[in-house]
Amino acid sequence: MNKKSGQLAIMFVSMILGIMLAAQFKNVQRVGGSTSIQRAEELTARVQKLTQENEDLQEQIRQFQQRIREYEQSAQNTGQLAQTVENELQQMRMLAGLTDVEGPGLIITVDENIPMAIQYDNLLTIVNELNAAGAEAIAINEERIIATTEIRNAGNHININTTPYSPPYVFKVIGDAENLEKALTLRGGVVDMLSTYNITVRIQKTDKVTVPKYAGAIKFKYAKPVPPKE
Amino acid sequence: MWLPILGLILGLALGYILPVNIPTAYAPYVSIAVLAALDSVFGGVRAWLEKKFDIEVFVSGFFGNAILAAVLAYIGDRLDIPIYLAAIFAFGTRLFQNFAIIRRYILKSISGKDKIED
Repeated sequence: MNKKSGQLAIMFVSMILGIMLAAQFKNVQRVGGSTSIQRAEELTARVQKLTQENEDLQEQIRQFQQRIREYEQSAQNTGQLAQTVENELQQMRMLAGLTDVEGPGLIITVDENIPMAIQYDNLLTIVNELNAAGAEAIAINEERIIATTEIRNAGNHININTTPYSPPYVFKVIGDAENLEKALTLRGGVVDMLSTYNITVRIQKTDKVTVPKYAGAIKFKYAKPVPPKE
Repeated sequence: MWLPILGLILGLALGYILPVNIPTAYAPYVSIAVLAALDSVFGGVRAWLEKKFDIEVFVSGFFGNAILAAVLAYIGDRLDIPIYLAAIFAFGTRLFQNFAIIRRYILKSISGKDKIED
């Protein structure tokens, strides 16, 4: 065995080792290694559990809402005063986003050209503009925007009303369609700004759009009403 | 002495450029195979420094160890026996031992005392 061929053999073998190392390296980069697989499994299990819990709670909400409706109906039947109260209640529920509402407005589809282009603040900006332009009810992907609605990044998703969503985001807005559209497509406005971030905004005017009610429960643990001062 | 390093760099570049993708399910076995291969290369360098290098032993050891380690790890996974721990332990220990010996040879050749011929 001469020295030259021995060295060549080592070179050949270390080349194969290099290919294996590089392939493995790329793989770990892509997947994140075995720990992250374990972590992913753990998280998947937790998500499944929480989804189940979530469903149970939604079911509870439905039951409670059913009961409230029954109370309201019985109150309605008891007379004129109750009728007034019922009307006011209806108004308040509309304001709070607890009823489905319909009317003329816009359907806005926000999508991204490159992954992760849409951040929560892009959605917030749109909501902000719409509210400034006199939108009466807004929902993103069937999540009604109410006073306590959060829009925030959670991992690769954006949470709206604690439910994770990914693109495309479909806004349903009730209001003066003309005004709302102008407010968004203003030169140098939101749509212009978002297009520079590789986000496409498609606006569609409609005579009738239904904005769903807020599906969660609103409860006040800390806040209490202050009686009006004379 | 430079040929193995040249080969390694060449292999790294090739592996990075070529679309070699390991399915995620097999990644743990490949990692064991990589460890076995690393061990073989260190063993080869050591044997070469000791002038005991034998090409057949080296090449068969390289491929044999890598494949055996991967297959054992795979079988261990099917049987729920962590054989890969044994592979990591065996190859890891040998790797460091071999490296220690290589280090001594290199240090000796640098310091000049008891100089080793190329």
